[in-house]
Amino acid sequence: MNHRIPHVNLACCLILLGWATTLHANSQDKLQFSGFARVVMGYLDDENAEYVGYDNSLSFDQQSLLGLQADYTFNETLSVTGQLVGHTGAQRSSGLEWLYLTYKPSNALQIKMGKQRIPFFNYSDSLDVGFAYPWLTLPQQFYDTAFFSTFEGVLANYEFTANDWIINYEGYWGRYDDKFYLSSGEIDAQVSGLFGVNANVGYKDWTFRASYNQGNTDIELAEVTQLSGLLRSIGFTDSADWLNPSGRIQFYQLSANYENLNYFVRSEIAKMVGETGIVPDIDSFYISAGYNFYPYTLYISYSKRDISYDHFDNEIPFGVSTELDFLASAYNSVLASFPDDNTNGTKIGIRWDWQPNVALKGEMTLVKAGDSISNDFALKDLGNFDGSAILYQLGLEWVF
Amino acid sequence: MRLVYVLFILFCPSIFTLSNGAEAIIVVANTQDKSIQLNRQQVRNLFMGGALPYDLSAVALPPENQTRVLFNTKVVGLTESRIQSYWAQMRFTGRKKAPKEIESEQLVLEYLKNNQGAIGYLPAGITLPKELTVVYQIH
Repeated sequence: MNHRIPHVNLACCLILLGWATTLHANSQDKLQFSGFARVVMGYLDDENAEYVGYDNSLSFDQQSLLGLQADYTFNETLSVTGQLVGHTGAQRSSGLEWLYLTYKPSNALQIKMGKQRIPFFNYSDSLDVGFAYPWLTLPQQFYDTAFFSTFEGVLANYEFTANDWIINYEGYWGRYDDKFYLSSGEIDAQVSGLFGVNANVGYKDWTFRASYNQGNTDIELAEVTQLSGLLRSIGFTDSADWLNPSGRIQFYQLSANYENLNYFVRSEIAKMVGETGIVPDIDSFYISAGYNFYPYTLYISYSKRDISYDHFDNEIPFGVSTELDFLASAYNSVLASFPDDNTNGTKIGIRWDWQPNVALKGEMTLVKAGDSISNDFALKDLGNFDGSAILYQLGLEWVF
Repeated sequence: MRLVYVLFILFCPSIFTLSNGAEAIIVVANTQDKSIQLNRQQVRNLFMGGALPYDLSAVALPPENQTRVLFNTKVVGLTESRIQSYWAQMRFTGRKKAPKEIESEQLVLEYLKNNQGAIGYLPAGITLPKELTVVYQIH
């Protein structure tokens, strides 16, 4: 089903786009339309793996997308914004990404209510706007760690200056009730009590950011829940608890960026802590450096991610009865489907700002994996993968 | 020693070019408080959508404009493409909006004159009406 929706949405976007351009001239001040689009071509040099959806054939329909935004201003303090994104890739759902009311009582304070993107990391709320960042594909080992990207709730933002420092505090609270989109498939999920705080500090050519986010997840994994219930009924409560997929997830992030006319360095480090057994702990970071020679930007980047599960030893004895043996092996096979995973990505690329609103990019990413690969993330082992592959990509980024 | 002379001769013309009046930029505001003086960081924050204690709203020139290129280089310290990508991120995450763009220096001057609280950058040497105040200058 997911494969059909993008086309419908893309068609809707195109119709809206046509309508938008005719309307634009009339009510320019109250109603404003804008948008972004990207066309990305990719090819993976390995037939035994898949990375960011790309396989050993040339493909355009993994990251290409079209986004449209409408802003309606009621008065100086109140406005409403909607953003519709049509994705070609199957790992992202198309539709309304943002729909919120903004209340801006002063230059310093802004409050948004409605459906919004979660500002976990620096680019979490602008993942789809490729024009906004230098890379063609964001460092996946870092950005592929949040399984959900939107929430419904309230977000407040307060900015002020102190001497030459510019300080921005942000906090949000809400819930998520949709699906977790994993590379291996979708899972029905709810996240309640979702909240986060972050601080962004700018000083001269530096910007620093720190964020903390948490939520209580309730994931529907029918087979796992069934097995967990069965184990509990015969008294293996520790094993049953380990398999319980619902619990708290926390995200911590730190970032430091430097940029001037000629160079930039961007870095982020994050830790995700999953309270329950089958939600892993994830440590990830990236560091990128670039050189600007307008209109070109040349960059290199390295990113790394370690996924580790708090594996619980099998407490079910073997050899007592055939039923228990069966249960023990079922438990072991479930455990085996949550392997620890270490991957890293090294990339080199170039961005050419051809027009003020059009950029072309070319990028090469070498992805390397450890012994075991969790197929829930960007890298998938299709069988006999030797743990190393190169992704070649070309892309066009457009904002209007 | 000869090398020092060579270097001196080589670098002299560029020093003259940098301090040439045609390349100096002034930041001009239509404000009742004529005593306002901003530093480079404050001007940069203001034109990048940052909060400032004063209630001023920035206007800019279009991307290819030479005065804008000088302003980007000398005051903001970022390339045009980096500025464009910054505004794309701000716009599509609903954080900030880019300054209103006005076609030419003459029209900026006109706009500043007619809008209290407006602030814009112009080439130094332009004749200013008395309503406007120079709040920052860079050579």
